[in-house]
This record gives sequence, structure tokens and C-alpha cells, in this order.
Amino acid sequence: MKVSFFETVRYRPPAPLPPDWPAASGAYDRDAGARAYEDMIARLRYLEDIGFDWVSVSEHHYSPRILTPSPILSAAYLAPHVKKMTIALLGPIVAHSNPVRLAEELAMLDTMTHGRLVVGLLRGTTNEALSYDLNPEESRERTDEGMELILKAWTEPQPFGWQGRHFQYRTVSIWPRPQQQPHPPTYALGTSREALEFAARHRLGCGVSYGPYDVMARATRHYRDECARHGWEPKPEQIVYRANMLVAGSDEEAHALLEQQPDRAPFSMRSGVADAIAKVDARNIAGQARAPVRMGALPTTFIGSPDTVVEQVRQCKEMVGCGVLDLSLHPPGLPDPEPLMRALDLFATKVLPRIREI
Amino acid sequence: MALNEAFVDADGFRIKYREGGQGTPLVYLHGAGGPRPNPSHELLARHHRVIAFEIPGFGDSPENTRTKTIGELASTITTAVASLGIDTFNLIGRSFGGTVALWMALQAPERVLAMVLEAPGAFRPEGMTPPSNHPLVVRLRGPARDPELERRMRALTTPTLVLFGTRDDVIPPSMGQIYKAALPNGHLVFVYDAGHGISTDRPEAYAEVVVDFLERHEAFVISRAHTVIHP
Repeated sequence: MKVSFFETVRYRPPAPLPPDWPAASGAYDRDAGARAYEDMIARLRYLEDIGFDWVSVSEHHYSPRILTPSPILSAAYLAPHVKKMTIALLGPIVAHSNPVRLAEELAMLDTMTHGRLVVGLLRGTTNEALSYDLNPEESRERTDEGMELILKAWTEPQPFGWQGRHFQYRTVSIWPRPQQQPHPPTYALGTSREALEFAARHRLGCGVSYGPYDVMARATRHYRDECARHGWEPKPEQIVYRANMLVAGSDEEAHALLEQQPDRAPFSMRSGVADAIAKVDARNIAGQARAPVRMGALPTTFIGSPDTVVEQVRQCKEMVGCGVLDLSLHPPGLPDPEPLMRALDLFATKVLPRIREI
Repeated sequence: MALNEAFVDADGFRIKYREGGQGTPLVYLHGAGGPRPNPSHELLARHHRVIAFEIPGFGDSPENTRTKTIGELASTITTAVASLGIDTFNLIGRSFGGTVALWMALQAPERVLAMVLEAPGAFRPEGMTPPSNHPLVVRLRGPARDPELERRMRALTTPTLVLFGTRDDVIPPSMGQIYKAALPNGHLVFVYDAGHGISTDRPEAYAEVVVDFLERHEAFVISRAHTVIHP
């Protein structure tokens, strides 16, 4: 099992923030922001020392919870400081991006990191449609088309045009091309039937997140079935599972710590907006109409003592089939960094060596 | 806009064609599946005088055992166009018809103003057997790679648009690279989410890029889309 650290930049606000998304930009503290990015570099060196295989960054907007509106900039900022780890962009939101620009920038990053990039292409959480004024009804189609265009831009040797539904280019011919050939290891992220089938059709990996094992297993089973239908079998490393982990000295201590965490999703949309989006942006898990994660705080999948957590990871591997765990060891956006560092120490010494062999 | 049926004689064949629209003549050649209803024809006929031929040996015509080479077939169609009193024209060939169109342009480049090759079948991966077992197609389609054809294409300056659907499961879209590399004035466009039948799968997207290319040739790469939301 490979292990990835989900880097969220960890902005620590000097004063409590209003709870809604979008968070009021005027509440941003410049010193706290600068410190957060500096801390990210210090943390990166530590993560590498203790043996994480990947560091992952994501794209989120208008919120201090995850301070990475541009994951490509985040990756470029991290790249000079990484010696061994793979940088995982999980991932740029394709639906509201220019796919050709994404293909170019990802190829640049892959070249600059000497081929130590993995890419997860993403539709984005429902709120992200509001960030750049995208009709949520179109986000699925734009993502699928954008992903296909990115793959084409990476691999097509001749200048070409693209006559799409949502994107039209008369001339595409990117420089540089990716360092890794034909392109960096790439994942179509998400549990939807569309994302899983896209991944299988294009021999990409898949990435699922946060849901319980049985639900995520339904998605990865569909992915593997579709891969078989297309005549290939994915490697374990082609299934990434992003999850929260809360490891403590004992099961009791871990659950007590969980009790102290907020039970409401930080910086969530007002219910009227969330409900209105849900009506036009239906989500599914391998074709079953339901959202991967219900309202509220994201679930903590792995929780307990090191022994308990190792067993949970073993069970997860059996059910979900993932070969990479992308972990958040402490909820992003909480002001105190100490619990994260304690969790990292415990994870590095008591958990990581044992889950390597799973 | 309806297309009307008529006949023209050429090289001893009585050739059916459907015609509609006004403007610069646009000759359309169908694929190995024969002439079929195609929604793109009416879209193209809004801008051009569309003449969709039934290649001798297809459709309602008798079996064609006379034509021995793809060049001969191309010559017959060029003769048919001339018999309609048309000197210069735009040309579209789909799949097998794309190979015929390519040979027409090679034989009479001065007559072809611009050409669109829709999922053309002139090049195929080595070892791949195309699905059509139409006797004329089997006899004329030639090798998977024809070096002589590629050599002649390098001297063909006809503005040419090569289209492949991203879901083409008959001729791999990667074959488009060969045309793009060989044709000095060739342009390759992928039509997203279309299969081998681009003009029937996504007729509006197909017609838009075809009409634009036939009007502006290589300048079609310059966008004319406006992005002003409110003036």
C-alpha cells in the first residue's frame, strides 16, 4: 500500500470565521496566509522524512479550509522542495478549466519534476460550479469532454482541432509534452458511473473518497468490471482512496478526539443554494442515484489505536481494492497544528511501517 | 431543405445523385455502407449546392464489376461531375468515399477547390481488416499503407480538412496523423464523441466545421466567436 498526504495548506485564522461558503474574503489575514504557505514547505520535508510516497493537492475556491485555488501553483511551489515523493494533483477541476491550458501546465509540471507527477482529473464538488459561474447541469459533460481533450493534447503528435460540445479549438499542439510517456499516471476521480467508465475506457486509474468501504467498493467494483470489459486489469496503484484518519494512543482516545471535532461541514453552502444545485447536478455512485457523502462533516473512515487502524486499512484494501491511501490525518481548517503533528508522529512510527505490506 | 433525386451518365454508368441548395457545388461521396439518409446534407445545403452521388455498384445500382482500380472509380465520378456542367467544386468523401475523393483531388487538383475527408479509409493499421465486405470495396480499397499514395499526397496543395470522431471504432482516429503529416495544406480535426459516422452522429458540429473550412480554408483556424455577454 502506498500512502499519500493530502496537503490542504492549513490556514490558521487568528479569529473565528463565519461558517458559510463562500467565506467572506475580507476576513482573510495576510500574515496567517503567508505563514500557512511557509509551514507547508516545512511540513513537506517532514512528510518525506517519515516516508510518505505522495503529497497530494486539490482545487478548492473561496474558502480558508483548503487554501489551494490553483493546485498547479501549489505543486509548482512544492516541487523544488521534494526529493523523493510523487506530487499528486488530485485534482484540477476540469469542468471549469480550459483543458488545453491544463494539458500544457500539467506537462510543464511533469517535466519540471522529472516525471514525478500523478494527475487526478476531477468534476469538482457541487459548490465549485459557483466559483466560476458554471452551469452545474453541464459539469458532468464538460468534465468528460475536457478529460478526453487533455489526453488527446498530451498524446497527439500532429497539430489538431477539436470540434466538441463544450470546447472548440481549431489548433492544438502543446509544448512541452509530458515527461512521462504517453502521459503521467492519470486518474479520473469520482464515484459516478460516468467517471468510472471514462477511466476504464481510457485505461486510467480511478479515485474515490470519503465514503464507507462498502459504498466505495461498489464504485471500484464497477470500475474493475468496466476495465475487464475493455480488456485490461488495473493495478492496485490505479485505485486511490482519499479518507480521513484519526489515530491516537487508544481506541477510546481516538473516539474522544472525534467527539471534539465539529459535526458540521466547515464552510458549507447555505441549504437553499445546496438544495437548488442538487436539483440540477445529480450525483451517483456507479449508477446508483445518491451522493457519495451526505451533508455534514466528512466521515472519518479510519479511527482508533494503531492496531485498530492497521486492521481497518487491511479491510479497506480487501473491499475497495485500493493501492494508494490519500490521507488527511487531521481535519483541515482547524486552528491548532499540534494535533496534526502528533498524529503524524504516531502514524509514522506505529502505522505506516505496518500498512506498507498490505 | 429537401434534396431532389436525378441521374447522370458517366463512363457507361447511370449514376443516381441527390441535389439541393445553391452556391458553390459540393460533391459528397458516401462510405462503404452505401448512400444513406444523412441529416448533414440539409445543413450543408443551406450554404452550398450539394450533390450526393450514389457510387456505381452501391444502393439501387447494379453490381459494378467493371471498375478495376480506385483511380478509375475516382475518374468516373469526376466525369459525372463534369457531365453536370460543373467545372470546379468542393468535395467531401466519407470513409471509402474519402479514398475516392482523395484520388479525385490527386487526378484533377485544378478542379477541387477544397476537400473534406470524413473518417477516410485510405490508411488503416497494418493487419486490420475493415468490416465492409462489399465486393467493390474489397476489390478497390488497396493496402493498409500505400507508399505511392503518400508520395503523391505530399505534392497535393488542395486545402484539405480531415475529420475523425473520437469514438471511431472502424478506422482508428490516430490514422489522421498520416494525412496531417502528408498533406501540405491538410488540417486534422477530432469531432468529440462521434463514431465512424461523424456526419450522422453529430451533424451540427460536423456541418459547422465543414462549412467554415470550405469558406475560409486555412483561415478557419481564426476564431470568429464573440464573447461579449452584454454590450
